Amino acid sequence: MQRVKNVDYDEDDLYDDDEEYGEESDDRDSEQNRSSFAELTPVVRAELEEAGVQASDKAIEDALWNSFWDVGKSVVFLKDRNAPRQTPKKQEKAKSKFDQAAERSAKETGGSSKLAKLAEERRKKAAATAAGGSSTDSELSSLDRLTKPKDSKENDAPSSVAEPRKYPIRKKREPTPPPKEPTPPPPTEPEEEKPDLRASPTAFARTLSTHPVQGRKVTAPALADLLGTEQSEDPFKGPSPDDTVLKAQQRSKGRSLSKQTEALKLDSQSTQATIRSKGLDVPKLWAEEKAKRKPAAAFVVIGHVDHGKSTLMGRLLLDAGAVSQRDVNKYQKQAAEMNKSSFALAWVMDTGDEERERGVTFDFAQHHFSTPKADFTILDAPGHRDFVPNMIGGASMADMAVLVVDANQLESGMKGQTKEHILLAKAVGLKKVVVAVNKLDAANPAWSQDLFEQVQADVRKLLLDSAFAEQDIKFVPCSGLGGANVVNAPKASSPAAWVSKAHFTLLQALERSIPPRIADQEVIRQPLRMQIVDVFRGGVTNPVSIAGRISSGSVQIGDIVTVRPSGEKATIRAIDVLDEAKDYAVAGQICSLHLSDIEAQHLRSGDLVCSLQHPVHGRRSVVLLIDVLEPLLPQPVDVHVGRLHVPATISQLVETVDGKGEQLKRRPRLLKAGQRARIKVSFEGSVPLVVGERVIVRTAGVTAAHGTVE
Amino acid sequence: MKLVKQEILHKTGEGFAIMKPEEPEDMWHAYNLIRPNDLLRASAVRKVITESAGSGSRSNERVHTTLTIRVTKLDFDPQAGQLHVSGRVAEENPIVKLGGYHTLDLELQRNFTLEKSEGWDSVAIATLKEACDNDAKAQLWAVIMKEGLANICLVTDHQTILKQKIEYSLPRKRAGSTDHEKSMQKFFHTTYDSLLRHIDLANPKPLLLASPAFTAWQFQQYIKAQAAVSTDKRVKDLLPKITVAQSASGHLHSLNEVLSSPAVTSKLSDTKFARETQLVDKFFELMRHEDNRAWYGPRESEKAVEQGAVGKGGGVLLISNGLFRSQDIGVRDRWVKCVDAVREQGGEVRVLSSMHESGRRLESLGGVAVILTYPMEDLDELGEGEVEEEQPESEDEDEHGANGHSHGVEGRRDHEEDIDFL
Repeated sequence: MQRVKNVDYDEDDLYDDDEEYGEESDDRDSEQNRSSFAELTPVVRAELEEAGVQASDKAIEDALWNSFWDVGKSVVFLKDRNAPRQTPKKQEKAKSKFDQAAERSAKETGGSSKLAKLAEERRKKAAATAAGGSSTDSELSSLDRLTKPKDSKENDAPSSVAEPRKYPIRKKREPTPPPKEPTPPPPTEPEEEKPDLRASPTAFARTLSTHPVQGRKVTAPALADLLGTEQSEDPFKGPSPDDTVLKAQQRSKGRSLSKQTEALKLDSQSTQATIRSKGLDVPKLWAEEKAKRKPAAAFVVIGHVDHGKSTLMGRLLLDAGAVSQRDVNKYQKQAAEMNKSSFALAWVMDTGDEERERGVTFDFAQHHFSTPKADFTILDAPGHRDFVPNMIGGASMADMAVLVVDANQLESGMKGQTKEHILLAKAVGLKKVVVAVNKLDAANPAWSQDLFEQVQADVRKLLLDSAFAEQDIKFVPCSGLGGANVVNAPKASSPAAWVSKAHFTLLQALERSIPPRIADQEVIRQPLRMQIVDVFRGGVTNPVSIAGRISSGSVQIGDIVTVRPSGEKATIRAIDVLDEAKDYAVAGQICSLHLSDIEAQHLRSGDLVCSLQHPVHGRRSVVLLIDVLEPLLPQPVDVHVGRLHVPATISQLVETVDGKGEQLKRRPRLLKAGQRARIKVSFEGSVPLVVGERVIVRTAGVTAAHGTVE
Repeated sequence: MKLVKQEILHKTGEGFAIMKPEEPEDMWHAYNLIRPNDLLRASAVRKVITESAGSGSRSNERVHTTLTIRVTKLDFDPQAGQLHVSGRVAEENPIVKLGGYHTLDLELQRNFTLEKSEGWDSVAIATLKEACDNDAKAQLWAVIMKEGLANICLVTDHQTILKQKIEYSLPRKRAGSTDHEKSMQKFFHTTYDSLLRHIDLANPKPLLLASPAFTAWQFQQYIKAQAAVSTDKRVKDLLPKITVAQSASGHLHSLNEVLSSPAVTSKLSDTKFARETQLVDKFFELMRHEDNRAWYGPRESEKAVEQGAVGKGGGVLLISNGLFRSQDIGVRDRWVKCVDAVREQGGEVRVLSSMHESGRRLESLGGVAVILTYPMEDLDELGEGEVEEEQPESEDEDEHGANGHSHGVEGRRDHEEDIDFL
């Protein structure tokens, strides 16, 4: 029992330290998860009753949550949790020394979040020990423990044999997220390949090298526990601070050592054992689940600097319930201290210190929220002209655009980034646009309908000039700071009453603008392509993670992918879509991929992740078919492809063409604005480009042309 | 470079010059001066193997000597500022046989003698004069950066040398994580360290930091913070030398735009590169406005010069010195003639360094561009038979020549004096 208590203790500790866990627990009540709970809880209960164990719904849900929907593990965990009740107290005492030591070291190491995560691993390990150990025999001597990994190895074989048998059954089900079938769990968890502790003369070194690489998979007892037992038996009771440090050092050493030993003794089968692909037929699964899914869309928020993009999005998130009032109050207080209280809502999106200090968005921020009707991802682009490259990166991930226009300062934007952003949104292929006419409450007179109509006419003209279709444009009068007509329609008594009669709220307009996913199946069946937008550390268990939008194909856990232009290979260890762990992701989704077998230095934002079978080859020079916006000569330019931003030189103006691509003039001297032309562009290094990719050419901070790769 | 002795006949251009390179930049000049087939005399170290007749034993010896070679190949290393000249020995020497191959490594503070096989042409003399001009030796360090990328380069009168490129993969901002800020600090730290390794703190040159948005400014703050805690007092002396400027991107080619911006030119002494950048900018500007006074490309420029359109009153010939380094002697002759023609007509000639960003821009246009004194149509399509059009157009010359002044080529006369010596 005490062991379980320890678990709780650590968990509390973690929630304080680590926001990631906090987020997860928030998501736990999402509709999708609730349905998974409903689906899986009876399965677990049936398993438990078979074994004669009682458990409350809450306990089962907890177990499921903690084991990432793994029914097998949950059952083992619950069985074990209930088992010690029957065991006599004496046994607990026999183990208590170890537990105390573990608890103490957990306390000691719980200070920083990094160490807290180590502790979290230890906690999982302890849970596994409990799961595997206590039901069989809890009075294990340390020698017995040394033999245990051997057992687990023996158990490995049957479980892998069982895999194909499981597979057809689980295909009939519709797992969101796909759970494992409730197979009768083996006495110990055989997930992880363990070095054979007894076999070699360097057993101690091997023991040291046993390290839990897999955070998500519960591991068999490893060194830390063993050392803990041994140390608790010495007269000093528990590790001294020095020991803790030493232990940590040994563990970090053990990591590289373990890799070496693994490389020595493991064959190719073992790598499959670490991350096993489930071999899902992703396109089929995706099609099957179609009915269940809510429509989803990512929208990029564009517009001139200081027109209130971030504030409007902060308001949207607050009123849609994705951000708590408490957080906003906190920002309000901090912002007031900096004399910037009107920026408090923008701080929801602008998380950087520098951004907050200056009140300007630097890089696009990504935030996710759900309404009963749809799932949305906000990509809040910076409006400042110096950050247009970042805006292009954000826009290239979006399905549609929200153009924010300050009703009172239309002019500044028309000349500046309102215009450029509209062009760029079109250039990256966005079709639908919702125009939020912002700051109407600050107009003179407030909520002047005339002003709105006037702005609407001007912006509509600009959009139509940029080849947006009339029916794809929606206008919403609103106030980001005040919150009127963002999620909630303004009150009938306010001067803004006219708004609700003729116009949707911003949220309604968004829900109505979600573009249908075109030719879903075909794009998914194409080879995988994903541009890396971000390379980050996803935590202790996921040291190398990347984020981006899959442009074609699909990816699932266990897939091996290649990264261009570095050409390195990586294995997909885990996938997050909309902050939830998934087994697979498909084209059109914005996801985080947690990788293994690759170093972060081989990954750069702008690189392309491709399937191993059909990689994209880098090119040193390409021919582009462009629409010219500014006069161009053979000259150095910046070429943007989504997040990729490379210097290049226009080496040749090949020809000007007409609308159909027929040649008008060969080798023109100069390309004028409004012309359509083919140009040859050469890069310094090789750049992975796919035919048909959308490209933006900029020079001296101005967008000069946009087009496609030929 | 110091001109030790010069014996060049003005009429024929025959003769030789003895020079003493004093700084790495001089190697660049030497690289532009020495052509294949020239005679180069410099001190050399040669390994000599002697075989004694009786015993047949061999002995190695390194001998210092002076060799004269007829140049066949040049190899210039801009980063290290070294020039290696290969050729065949052309003058008898007790150690090396006539016709034996040798590679001379030109060294600082050691004289070398250069004799031109085809005589010194006007471009060669201009280069020589420029090389030995000891005053305007402007130098500055520039860091062109954006988040995650920094190009540290040294800008001299004739070269932009990229000393180091620092690339850092920065994680994007995300709620609840300070990884971005931490990586940013690391990135600044790396850049700062590399910068200090390159610059000479004892004799600090102006330092230009340029980036889109605030990155350069942040980096300046970082340097200030470092200087405050540093034990090295010299870092503090660096602070007043720093200029922060805006650039459109963090890539090296943005340096152009930075150097031509008024904010920077006002702070830096008006140097050669600023003037060149201005001219190239003006050219691009004219092109953008589809003004028919701007043409580029070898064929078009040559035709314009032939027709006397690059003359007094605003005519400018921009030419990359890469064309004069051509291995093909015919190519060099062709362009020397062109340059001479423009000078005769009273136009301005600018030989742009291909090692400069402005020169690079020019190279992408084929290495040569002209700003005409009057507009000319369809230079690219002009056939041989249509030269008669010249007459009516030349009447416009004065008119447009006057316009040329108003188009911002002020100060042209001063610069002409720089160039028109001889």
